[in-house]
Amino acid sequence: MTVDGWFYAGLVVGLASTIICIVAAVMKKRPNDITLLSLAGVELFTIIYAVASLLRLTTGEHLAGAGWEFWGYMFTAAALPVAGFYWAMMERTFWSNYVMGAVGVTVVVMLARMAQIWYGLSPAVQHLQPGIGQ
Amino acid sequence: MKNTLGNTPDAPAPGRTTGAGRLLITVYGIFAISATARAGFQIATAFNDAPVAYLLSAFAAVVYIVATISLARPGHKSAVTATTAICIELAGVLVVGLLSVFDAQAFPHATVWSMFGQGYGYVPLVLPLVGLWWLYRHRAAAAK
Repeated sequence: MTVDGWFYAGLVVGLASTIICIVAAVMKKRPNDITLLSLAGVELFTIIYAVASLLRLTTGEHLAGAGWEFWGYMFTAAALPVAGFYWAMMERTFWSNYVMGAVGVTVVVMLARMAQIWYGLSPAVQHLQPGIGQ
Repeated sequence: MKNTLGNTPDAPAPGRTTGAGRLLITVYGIFAISATARAGFQIATAFNDAPVAYLLSAFAAVVYIVATISLARPGHKSAVTATTAICIELAGVLVVGLLSVFDAQAFPHATVWSMFGQGYGYVPLVLPLVGLWWLYRHRAAAAK
């Protein structure tokens, strides 16, 4: 898998959100501005990435994998912070921060898959995922 | 104090769907979504390559969906459904995991449960154990 600046940026934003939320949860804090803003940061990054990907595709770059798979991941990644927010806000205890912490790291994994679809799988990892996204 | 929290007779399974339970439901939900998407993609694009493996993926997806919903719903019936679904999940990850190690020819195409869920950070192996432990811890509340 080829990693680019987009993936590294997403890695930082996603993991930062997860770490912030988990630290807040360990400190038994309820969801506050900091944890909610970190989740909003993940959402903002996903939206910027989606817009930029659309621009890159319309200006000549092309995906190595299936387009609808890439955009399926993109849509799900953009929906996760929203779903995590609602699910966490239905019960405002410190556990809600753990729930929100699960969002960032999940989005990072999805970004890794999106990078694979964008650039194609390297032969080294291809055997791990036969039948998908070749 | 007539109505203290916890011994109200008609309280719907206090605890199981709250607190840490919500985190468990979140992780199950993520797996339900990813397993469904993966199975859907495999079946839609390359079903003839490995129908058994991809139908197994779809089966795993259904198990995760049932587990997620029944974990999230309060009440004794949901607890029983969740326990059943998670036992099937545990059996699935153990059987498919063992088969993919000792008889790799039978599983050339990856599923969620191949190699005990290695492709998903072994979470599929740990998740049912945590789920069963969680349900066991809340068995008294669920039986009311």
